[in-house]
Amino acid sequence: MANRSVWSDNRFWQRSAAWVTGFAAILLIWLTFDTSMQISMGSDEDLKNGVTKRVPGPTVINYKITYEMDAKRGHEVPVIGEKELFFGRDDWSEEEAGALLHLGKLGSQAKNCMNCHTLLGNGAYYAPDLTKAWLDPAWGPEGSLQAMTGKPTKEEAMAEFLQHPSQYPTHERMMPNLGITAEEAKGLVAFLKHMSSIDTNGFPRNFGKIKGAVHGK
Amino acid sequence: MLDPSLIRPEIALDDFLPIFVSSVLAMLFGGFYVGIYTAVKVKMLKSWAMPIAYLFWLFTAYCLYIMGSLMHVGEFTAKALIVSMIGYLLLPHAVYHMQHQVHEENEH
Amino acid sequence: MASSTLNESKQLATWYFTFAFILFGAQLLFGLVAAIQYVMPGFLFEILDFSVARTLHINALVVWMVFAMFGSVYWLLPDETGIDTVGIKIGKLLYWIFVAAIAVVVLVYIFVQVGPADETTIWFIMEGREYIEAPRWADFGIVVVALGFVANLFLTGIKGKQTGIVTVLMADMIAFAGLYLAGMFFTDNISVDQYWWWWVIHLWVEATWEVFVGAIAAYGLITMIGAHRKVVEMWLWIEVAMLFGSGILGMGHHYFWIGTPEYWWEIGALFSALEPLPLVAMFVHVLYDWGKTQGAEMNAEHTDEDSVRSVIQNKPAFTWFVFNAFGNFLGAGVWGFFHTLPQVNLYTHGTQFTSAHGHLAFFGAYATILIGMMYIAVQGKNNIKVMNNTKSSIWAVSLIVGGVMGMTVALTIAGYVQVLVSRAQMGATWAGYFDGQAGMWFAQGMDWRLIMGVVTFLGFLLLAKDLLTTGKNPVHER
Repeated sequence: MANRSVWSDNRFWQRSAAWVTGFAAILLIWLTFDTSMQISMGSDEDLKNGVTKRVPGPTVINYKITYEMDAKRGHEVPVIGEKELFFGRDDWSEEEAGALLHLGKLGSQAKNCMNCHTLLGNGAYYAPDLTKAWLDPAWGPEGSLQAMTGKPTKEEAMAEFLQHPSQYPTHERMMPNLGITAEEAKGLVAFLKHMSSIDTNGFPRNFGKIKGAVHGK
Repeated sequence: MLDPSLIRPEIALDDFLPIFVSSVLAMLFGGFYVGIYTAVKVKMLKSWAMPIAYLFWLFTAYCLYIMGSLMHVGEFTAKALIVSMIGYLLLPHAVYHMQHQVHEENEH
Repeated sequence: MASSTLNESKQLATWYFTFAFILFGAQLLFGLVAAIQYVMPGFLFEILDFSVARTLHINALVVWMVFAMFGSVYWLLPDETGIDTVGIKIGKLLYWIFVAAIAVVVLVYIFVQVGPADETTIWFIMEGREYIEAPRWADFGIVVVALGFVANLFLTGIKGKQTGIVTVLMADMIAFAGLYLAGMFFTDNISVDQYWWWWVIHLWVEATWEVFVGAIAAYGLITMIGAHRKVVEMWLWIEVAMLFGSGILGMGHHYFWIGTPEYWWEIGALFSALEPLPLVAMFVHVLYDWGKTQGAEMNAEHTDEDSVRSVIQNKPAFTWFVFNAFGNFLGAGVWGFFHTLPQVNLYTHGTQFTSAHGHLAFFGAYATILIGMMYIAVQGKNNIKVMNNTKSSIWAVSLIVGGVMGMTVALTIAGYVQVLVSRAQMGATWAGYFDGQAGMWFAQGMDWRLIMGVVTFLGFLLLAKDLLTTGKNPVHER
């Protein structure tokens, strides 16, 4: 037929597909640059000067972390407070803390945590989310999990549990023994504490704030 | 018992089910809309079915409206949803038009 | 499996399909182990733990699909380009390297499982990143094999007739292979880690794989119902534009909560709302082509209904292709859309909802069409002109589709309990998590998921029987 329109022209659609794809890809790459800047890890200097980073430096383990409602943003954000002892010290240097975090992050992958737990909400759904596990009241001074291990501090209780999970059954569904050493456990706890300080735009919501809400809404 | 600042502004507990149901129905009705539209156009269904197709589009739009309002979506997302709905209304027309034209050009 | 009637490319394709099918079975078996562990947590405890079973479940899934995808390309290349595939010897060698590497990786997953927290574990045992757990040495192997495959595709496409389908596949497969590189590094920063991890997972599953499915569906429509090539190929380009246009930035819906800035909320919401559109369009397209060709047949010289011939030349494959159009829309579209907006994703992210969506979307969008391609291979291998359904083909498709739908519904109900109890009320703590898991509806959801998983597995066995025996069945027209 004579009236060939552009809409039924293969070349036109081929070019459109190429342009749309290229445009979307360039936009994504541009956003990636911006996001990469924003999620790069902060430094010890930032922490000392109170500069808020979305992902703080490893020395955040020297500080107390809380999860507070931010009225302006309309959701909770992690707040880095005063100094706090972590395995008996609050003067972990940038190198020491970095090495500990490195060990912990490697450990989290080597032990395949993500295929039972979720980290930042991603992973498997067979075990609790670990995003803010450090802030879980159950591991706190009055928490049942800390009491169960008989350790005086949160970090020691967590490290003890990680090394001997099947000695502390908390549920019918237990964590298996993964051969985690004392040093690895320390690293993993540092990794968890660091993860809890990441600004996740309010995920998970109302973490550990509502007590007993299930039975009386 | 609850700190008032913690009460979620976005979603009430009783609203979760209607949100999920309406978003599923939105998609299903949307599927019916384009399915019936295309079936009528290629004469697998009689032409009296066409108003039913548009009725399903209305259902889709309504479900999406319920979903959006219960979720308390922001202004931006609301606009995105409206644009999607208009796109959805036009989509099968555009698709059919183009396919038909190519068919005509190549088989006559 | 070798057959003298097939040319070498198609023969290699049947090898790929065979191994893909074996891995499909492994995927279902380890899925069943994991499903049993939800119901009976003591099952294989500290022997083959949930984490191991699930690693195998999702890795077998990814790898069988990649195998079946490579097989599909080797199958259609001679038809599309009109020449023998270039570099088929290297293709065969790479096949055996790929199979051997996978066997080693699987054995290490099963018998070594985890390692000490150092680089050797990442290199030789497991990387511990969901879906791309394969150790680093295997990553390099995968890249080499993928590049060899892409080279064969490119050389054949350039030398022979470069149809629209081949052009799309060439562009798509190079992106597919290249994106894998984004998942091959280690970083202490988990936000950066997950940012790039999604480049592999999302841009595979919601962009390059979907475009691949579009290309395969185009080939299927041309070969199975004789759809008009020009129409199909024009449509394929539109699909590419829609899928990449919505899918690439649809990545935003994975960047809501991993530490990335808030602007991803808007980007994710906008492009997620658009993502179902190409799926709907693909659905319309299949309906259109079928209606058109069948309608033309019906309007041609026949006077009574009985003499109207079906235009479908491979009934079982076409059934799977139709389920693909439906399943893609239902699994990726409906089940994806209802938890994609950030307002509601805040509560649903990382619950069984995600799992329900994952099951139906992977099955609906990919498993269906790849099984369809296997039937096309059986047809071609046995020189069948019109392939009909056997009892087993019908039972297999019914049981598998019913089983997967059942699992999806069960997981959705479980996810709903989890959202209400663990997320909306308890705030996702340890205690909140287990309160949700203890819910009666949750527990029953898990029971039903297991039952439906068994149904799916029975369907798989029938499918295996059918694929192996239907070729010799006299019901087909030769």
